Amino acid sequence: MFSRVDAFVRDVRELETEEALAGALADVAGDLGFRYFALTHHVDVRRSSEAIRIHNYPEGWAEWFDEQSLGAVDPVHRASNVTSVGFAWSMLPEMVALTAQDRRILELARKEGIGDGFTVPAHVPGDAHGSCSFACAPGQAFSEQHQPLLQLVGAFAFEAARRMRRMRYSAGPVQLTERQRECVIWAARGKSDWEIARILGVSEATVGEHLRHAYERYGVGKRTLVAVHALFDGTIGFLDVLRR
Amino acid sequence: MPIIVEAGGFGSPGDRTLRTMFEDRKSVFVDMLKWNVPVLGGRFELDEFDDSHATYLIIADEQGDHLGSARLLPTTRRHILGNLFPELCADPAPRGADVTEITRFCLSRRQNAASRRLTRNRLVSALVWHALESGIRTYTGVAELAWLQQILAFGWDCRPLGIPVCLECGMTGALAIEIRRDTPERLAAYGLWDLPAAPPVQIAQAA
Repeated sequence: MFSRVDAFVRDVRELETEEALAGALADVAGDLGFRYFALTHHVDVRRSSEAIRIHNYPEGWAEWFDEQSLGAVDPVHRASNVTSVGFAWSMLPEMVALTAQDRRILELARKEGIGDGFTVPAHVPGDAHGSCSFACAPGQAFSEQHQPLLQLVGAFAFEAARRMRRMRYSAGPVQLTERQRECVIWAARGKSDWEIARILGVSEATVGEHLRHAYERYGVGKRTLVAVHALFDGTIGFLDVLRR
Repeated sequence: MPIIVEAGGFGSPGDRTLRTMFEDRKSVFVDMLKWNVPVLGGRFELDEFDDSHATYLIIADEQGDHLGSARLLPTTRRHILGNLFPELCADPAPRGADVTEITRFCLSRRQNAASRRLTRNRLVSALVWHALESGIRTYTGVAELAWLQQILAFGWDCRPLGIPVCLECGMTGALAIEIRRDTPERLAAYGLWDLPAAPPVQIAQAA
């Protein structure tokens, strides 16, 4: 089966459109025993026009999913934020605490014809988290032996999608200045403007200014949100915040 | 400052840089990633491939302390992919005078996330520069799949050499990276190209 994946990797290198990528992914997923694939950034796609999302899920399911703004809260997406290697959906309960809402989503997916699956997380520093998932019809199983191959397919497909998106939107990710970044890290640690000013040896007004500019770059109005956005896209790291 | 220590140059200017490199390698590969590799004197991570055939590409700070590095091994003799993990390749591992293996890609933990990213960009750029300068057309390497997405996101031309295998350190695979004249351009398009105006300092092999 490696030759099949090798051929896929060589193919996607030449592809230029998301439609072509979707076709290649559907083919290789099918050859590996999966009916569906979904390659996506973990954001609310209705509000983030630059987000990647390519899939061949049943139409009604994807629409419902978007209507509920589930992009960032889907349990599969949450689980893929806590690992860097692929996982079978059967592992979900061991990876994240499933809420009643999560169980409802999984149940609804099954009703829509989406059974067991395998997800490859895609974390690139400085970019929103994402993943590439493969799913079977309910009652069908996939071969455990294919998991390493799915990892390769998922990673190379995600990078191809990033390349295509970059060609379309050349603006690039949000960038903070070093000072703004420091202020956001201290804000994420729960420090007030006054405390941050003391730590950095600048005036409270300057800290306020740095944070205000950081809010503007992310288009948010609260310090909690700017911290979450900066963690989410990798501008600051969890270790920056948690380090003592 | 990028430094290239060519084949075994454990020479004078590199003493502090090499010492801090081997210390940082211990900190990253033994303490953090828990690799089962030899440690010298409880401080330095050094193995059988750290011999006179290895070339080191090192990014150092003004004091000469190591910030990031990669160890390059010729594939025309014993190396890691071809000799220790041949099962990671579907075909025989690529070998040749223009094929070099990247091993021990290491970013010092004595930096915050932003500096580490800067060092990483400089190291990757130095790797491409070195390949173009010295006639290397293909880099090979063994990588944990946890890093695969990041390696692909550098923008260079990368492909898998075989089916990844679950090893003690995690799901691991073999990769080949083709370096061409347009590779710097591609890295630049991804915002990664970062080579200082001054060319890297090359330290010749010590006697």
